Amino acid sequence: MTEPLPIELTVNGRDRRVEVLPHHTLLQALREDLGLTGTKECCLVGECGACTVLVDGRSVDSCLMLAAEADGSVVLTVEGLATGGELSPLQQAFLDTSAAQCGFCIPGQLLSAQALLAEVPHPTRAQIEEGLAGNLCRCAGYEQIIEAVRAAAAGAAEAPAIPPAVGDRAAIPDATVAPQ
Amino acid sequence: MRPFAYERPTALRDVVGLLGEHGSGARLLAGGTDLIIRLRDGSLRPDVVVDVKRVAELDGEIREAGARVRFGALTTMTDIVASARVRRDYPALAEAALFVGSVQIRNRATLAGNMCNASPAADTAPALLVYGAEIVARGPGGSRRLPLDAFFVRSGETTLNPGELVEAIELPVPDGPRGSVHLRRTRRRGHDLASVTMAVSVGRDGRTRLAYGSVGPRPVVVVDDSGTLADPAAPEDAKRERLDTLFADARPSPTSMRASPEYRLAMLRVLGLRGVTTAVDRLAGAR
Amino acid sequence: MTGSQGYVADLPHDDVLHVKLVALDVARARIGRIETSGALAVPGVLAVLTPADLPDPMPRFGPQRRDRPVLAVGETKYHGEPVAAVAAETLDAAEEAAAQVRVAFEELPALHSIEAALAADASLVQDPSLRPGDPCAATNILHDHHYGWGDVEAAAGDAEVVVEGRYDFPMVTQFAIEPHAFMAAPDGDGIVVWSAIQHPYWLQRVVADLLALPLSKVRVIAPDPGGAFGGKQHAKYEPLLAFLARATGRRVRLVLTLEETFQAVRRGASSVHVRSGFRRDGTLVFRDIEADYLIGAYADIADRTVAKGSYTSNGPYRVPNVRIHARSVLSHTVPSTAFRGFGNPQQIWAVESNMNEAAEQLGIDPLDLRLRNLAGPGEAFIPHDTSADGDWAQAVGRAAELIDWGGPRPAGRGRGIAVGLKSGPTTGLSYATVRLLVDGSVVVNAGTSDMGQGARTIFAQIAADELGAPVDWVTVVMGDTAVVPYDQQTSASRSSVLMGNAVLAACRDVQSKVRAMAASAEGVDQAAIVVDRGEVRLPDGRILPIRDAVARGLGRLGGEVMGIGESRKEAEPDHPLGGTSAFYEFNCTAVEVEVDRETGDVALTRHVTVSDVGKALHPGQVRGQDEGAAIMGLGHTLMEHYILDEGGRIRNLGAIDYRIPTTMDLPARMESDAIENADGPGPYGAKGMSEGALLPVSPAVAAAVHDATGVWIRDLPLSPERVWHALQEATAEAADR
Repeated sequence: MTEPLPIELTVNGRDRRVEVLPHHTLLQALREDLGLTGTKECCLVGECGACTVLVDGRSVDSCLMLAAEADGSVVLTVEGLATGGELSPLQQAFLDTSAAQCGFCIPGQLLSAQALLAEVPHPTRAQIEEGLAGNLCRCAGYEQIIEAVRAAAAGAAEAPAIPPAVGDRAAIPDATVAPQ
Repeated sequence: MRPFAYERPTALRDVVGLLGEHGSGARLLAGGTDLIIRLRDGSLRPDVVVDVKRVAELDGEIREAGARVRFGALTTMTDIVASARVRRDYPALAEAALFVGSVQIRNRATLAGNMCNASPAADTAPALLVYGAEIVARGPGGSRRLPLDAFFVRSGETTLNPGELVEAIELPVPDGPRGSVHLRRTRRRGHDLASVTMAVSVGRDGRTRLAYGSVGPRPVVVVDDSGTLADPAAPEDAKRERLDTLFADARPSPTSMRASPEYRLAMLRVLGLRGVTTAVDRLAGAR
Repeated sequence: MTGSQGYVADLPHDDVLHVKLVALDVARARIGRIETSGALAVPGVLAVLTPADLPDPMPRFGPQRRDRPVLAVGETKYHGEPVAAVAAETLDAAEEAAAQVRVAFEELPALHSIEAALAADASLVQDPSLRPGDPCAATNILHDHHYGWGDVEAAAGDAEVVVEGRYDFPMVTQFAIEPHAFMAAPDGDGIVVWSAIQHPYWLQRVVADLLALPLSKVRVIAPDPGGAFGGKQHAKYEPLLAFLARATGRRVRLVLTLEETFQAVRRGASSVHVRSGFRRDGTLVFRDIEADYLIGAYADIADRTVAKGSYTSNGPYRVPNVRIHARSVLSHTVPSTAFRGFGNPQQIWAVESNMNEAAEQLGIDPLDLRLRNLAGPGEAFIPHDTSADGDWAQAVGRAAELIDWGGPRPAGRGRGIAVGLKSGPTTGLSYATVRLLVDGSVVVNAGTSDMGQGARTIFAQIAADELGAPVDWVTVVMGDTAVVPYDQQTSASRSSVLMGNAVLAACRDVQSKVRAMAASAEGVDQAAIVVDRGEVRLPDGRILPIRDAVARGLGRLGGEVMGIGESRKEAEPDHPLGGTSAFYEFNCTAVEVEVDRETGDVALTRHVTVSDVGKALHPGQVRGQDEGAAIMGLGHTLMEHYILDEGGRIRNLGAIDYRIPTTMDLPARMESDAIENADGPGPYGAKGMSEGALLPVSPAVAAAVHDATGVWIRDLPLSPERVWHALQEATAEAADR
């Protein structure tokens, strides 16, 4: 059957029911079926991160996930970051540091940063570099993007240290960074 | 992307049934980070994609089972990186998993999928090979296990029988201290496909296991029983000579655009020596 | 920031038809029959456009030559050139139908190197009939450029040390994260075209010309591009979409895949031979440059990049005798076009590497060699052109200071330095309107395209400053030829200067009208009233906020005060480039690297970039532009290049095998600084900027690699494998000696 499949998912806090074609990706469902065009399309091979969204709290490239797979998931896109017309602290930090140039990669950058800060509230620079490495910025505003993430982290409350699952390659016990 | 049907069975027998029904027209979907790329570029054209993530018998857990540590078929690279157990006992695997793509990719890509794609450049394969991994396969006739080394045939091809899938991957619990490491060569520091990927493990018994990928049609594991590589006091020249012998069968692709055969072979030796040095150092530091 | 900015692909239109291009997987082929019946049978397909459906002769367009056909006719000339296009109700249907179009073709040998294209027996990329009256029409040379002054031959005897070398630069691509997107729709008897284009008014002329419509019937809507870098300056598939919109009577949209963008835009590759003569004290005596650029099958704006990149290729130096010969060489490759730096990075890679090699041969510190020859402020370093418009030694000195040039190098590390100069726009015409509304808020109409360079913010800031409105009370309207007055183009880092001046002039026009209003209301002489920075100062000492003066002046009917601004840089027909440079972009880059001698890995431990910007209108944006340009420069320096097969196909299409820098590829430490002497022609003394920091990256890094290893590498990128090979060769040579 290549007929449309009904799926139900929560997008930005709203329960949505939508019919998707089996071969359509979550990216297509968000952009075309749900009209959420803040999630961007670029490389379609999971390299650029323009299509990054959070699915059940984890960042994914929505171009590499079938829409049908998202059935029953909780999805966060860039449209869901601001609440009540107020930018999220991360969005505000991106604005304050002039981190956005052309803006096209920014939705993906914000979501990767959001996922990183949820897991590591006070990341090191290396952790930020690692956490955002899947989001290409061709304007290469990386330094200011990293500063924005640090600024957002600095504004967050100190949290108990948890072992980082993302990020710091140097944090692997007993493993100096493997020579490349 | 070319249309296909989507199935999401909840029981393993249904997966096996679908595989039997559709044969090579069915493709299993776990993380999808490789599959969906190939569906889009048309190099795979299945009639049905079988999503195995809701199969009751499959899980993404890493747990001890007897003298083995078992990685469920749905274990992602992120799970591996986050596992204290893996970092402690299988550091080369944790390091390799951390080199698989970006965070977004690691959140989805599975260890089992990485094996089933049988890419010669699969970063986790060398680590699994040096640790002596076994594949637990499930098919119409039940389960069987086979050493990972007997699993790979060539790029994209494994010894899985028609209708079989990988249920889990298991690693023996280490029987004593060892030092191990993963290393790779890429075109940039950010995530990239490896032009050489390697793992090295050195035990107290003086045996050194090296596995390498991206230097031939499939990942290869070789063993040094001479004790030369594990000996911190052995002269570097002797180690180089030993590595030359061990790597004699490496056959890098002459047509790859990622690196020339000459460079890959040279890097195989550079990484071999560095890997051995680091593994020996780690062994010395191990309690 | 909130995902609400609408790029072309985001614009909601339920009735839009999706377009898919049909191209052959070969570089060059003779096209036979195109069979469309299978494609037309796919449900939802409205049209399959082939050359037979277009006017005969095939309509052609291009900013320099009208040589690019709307669809390939007779022969495809590069990998990815479309031979047909499908329009369908869904993208799925369009893709399926595109795969069903059957094209009979015969592959032909493709010319994809400078040597092959210049060989005596090379086939001709362009039919001579497309080049009437062109003396080069029987060759693959599109244009020969000769520049220079003094007499190199006569001066050769005065040179005590001559240093020469050949330096190659590969094909690289813009890789904007927003793939090009185009849309067109019939609009009564006219047409509307949407494109993320840098030059909407130029596109308007192209479409009007191809469809034989008056300009007023062609409306170009140009939403802000998601990155452009030159790759979105000129028309690509907009004409095709316009014909498709006419053929179907429907709105049609084409969003390229990233792979297709690689087949639409790239930078020209080059091979540059530099010969420099010095006195033993390091004084430059002559420079002799021979440059070949491998451009594509159609001219696009490539020959202009060759001209501008070559004209200033001697760099910011005082050299009495200079000879520059540059050729644009046609080939069966993707048409090269504008790309940040516009023909200059290729030349700067060569000339600055040559300077660094010369420093070694002369036994002079490369910093001192540059300072010795650098033109001073006001010096006519290019005869009959704009004099040096900055204190460039100051930028060089600042870069040297930041990297502690004279200080000890950490063990195993090498340092390198280089400078880059690029001429700004040579002509220009920008209009702006500024409307001061009754409540004191402001609407600016300016035809610049904001592709990330921050023009919108700069214009808002100028209007806010001049008219005393809070910056968030200013709305800047751009990107619609039906609404916004004419702007020549967004390129050459011009907008802050040229459009900035137009906006400033429009604000001043508003101010003068406010002054007249206030004079009339107060019954005093206009000349006695000062309007400045949002205030109206009356002769009796009272100061009114401008909004109060306006509200009062406008009276009971309300309304607004409209100002018009114009900024113009005239063409100079006798000038080799058609006009002098409005300003120069100057940058000095100094880097420190660590080289892994066993693997060839080059790691940047320090990257210092200092640009002369005249005045930083928005320091955060200036920094973003400089650091972004620097990192983009690291891309082509360390990892980027097209890999072609023997037939001329691009093997590394797409993001998996064409690598650009990620956050993990950044220098361990990046420092940028701006020199501000308010000596530019723009608002408040600003100069254009945003390309400079890319220009000297490659030669600075190559010099640092040499400093660390002793090896000069004259080809890019400095990939691990290339560096490794160079080190192997050097070791082998040393063993032979």
